[in-house]
Amino acid sequence: MPPAPLALIAELTHRCPLHCVYCSNPLELQRAVDEITTDDWMRVFREAAQLGCLHVHLTGGEPLARNDLVPLVNTARNANLYTNLITSGIGLSETRLKSLVEAGLEHIQLSFQDSREDPANDIAGARSHQAKLDLARQIRKFKVAFTVNVVVHRQNLDHLAEIINLAEQLGPDRLEVANVQYYGWALANRDILLPTRQQIAESQTVVANARQRLQGLMRIDYVAPDYYARYPKACMGGWGRRLILIDPAGRALPCHAANVIPDMVFDNVRQRSLPWIWSESPAFQRFRGEQWMPDPCRSCDRRTEDFGGCRCQAFLITGDASATDPVCILSPAHQLVADQVNRANSNQTSLPILEENNRSNSGTWVYRSNPH
Amino acid sequence: MSRLLDTSQPRLAAGCRWADADGDERMVLFPEGAIRLQGTGREILERCDGERSLQQIVADLQARYSASDAAQIREEVVNFLDKLRQKRIVDF
Repeated sequence: MPPAPLALIAELTHRCPLHCVYCSNPLELQRAVDEITTDDWMRVFREAAQLGCLHVHLTGGEPLARNDLVPLVNTARNANLYTNLITSGIGLSETRLKSLVEAGLEHIQLSFQDSREDPANDIAGARSHQAKLDLARQIRKFKVAFTVNVVVHRQNLDHLAEIINLAEQLGPDRLEVANVQYYGWALANRDILLPTRQQIAESQTVVANARQRLQGLMRIDYVAPDYYARYPKACMGGWGRRLILIDPAGRALPCHAANVIPDMVFDNVRQRSLPWIWSESPAFQRFRGEQWMPDPCRSCDRRTEDFGGCRCQAFLITGDASATDPVCILSPAHQLVADQVNRANSNQTSLPILEENNRSNSGTWVYRSNPH
Repeated sequence: MSRLLDTSQPRLAAGCRWADADGDERMVLFPEGAIRLQGTGREILERCDGERSLQQIVADLQARYSASDAAQIREEVVNFLDKLRQKRIVDF
């Protein structure tokens, strides 16, 4: 039996009122009619706790689109899982928020797309910014931990100081500033999202200054973009090592994007228990440990830190899911990432930082669609 | 940032809680993770119930580790709790 996973990521639904251009959901979204039932999820939560998971991250799509969210939170909490809701906030009234907290919700992670209303709505593909501001002001009335999450990229990184000021006004315990990772819809929009080297350098200074100023008041976590790193991220903490993701149709995946890899067969919680899936499912075994590793990972000292990086990214960029993650400077395919970075930094590029008054309905984005 | 005073009453921050004990080890869960605590770390944090003051916590620990010097215990407790406050695990 492999060591127990730390957390369950529960993608309750792929339905979502927003259409964010950086969404990490797969391009092939699960349909509402294929979603697993309340009872299925309740069993999954109990099995996850037995398996040793400490946290459950309720996400989507928009988890609030499930009308059984309150009983699901209650079941997770009673199974002694730490319950975290990852939400756009759209559809969360004060009454519903109260019910969720009473049911045992412990943490809310609320997303914002920008500090400014028009670009925020443009990135979300929906008029949502004002509703989020209204909701954020309610959250502090309740005894629940609160994180503001902002995904950053070429089009909003220049507003980072302003974004941090906005978060300060909303008063969360923690601000997570995460650079886009290029999967799903974000990969389709990569040319418009990939920041410049200068933007990254400036953002690091802004974060360092803000951390000093806000020490002990608001924690700031900053997730750097891996295209600009020397070595890959330890994606999911290693394949089949820390996390188990259940998609809306009940399929168990080792990570959000794993369905892009060819020849993967995902077991389903309708047929199999979570402990069985964790230890026996071929999908979880495929890149677990070091047997699958090619050179240069196989003999690299960093293999126990980054586990060869991200399998999905290796496939999406090189066409080979077993390759070293090409963001690694040691990867034989690293030039493919370097080319993208060079393009993003070239003056001759057609990749503008869009003018604010010229963005809406510009037809430039590929918006995340909704499942049927 | 306010300083930890003798009269401060440290407590787990919003959204942080203890998980069940597993032998000598006990975990505190927080939004994006968990920390494992054993030994003196556990002894300190278990006393941070929002009721006891820093002074009482230090006195408690001194009684438990009778050979130790109070000023040194106080310094260790303050450093430990400051670190946890920066992670938003403790408030006071």
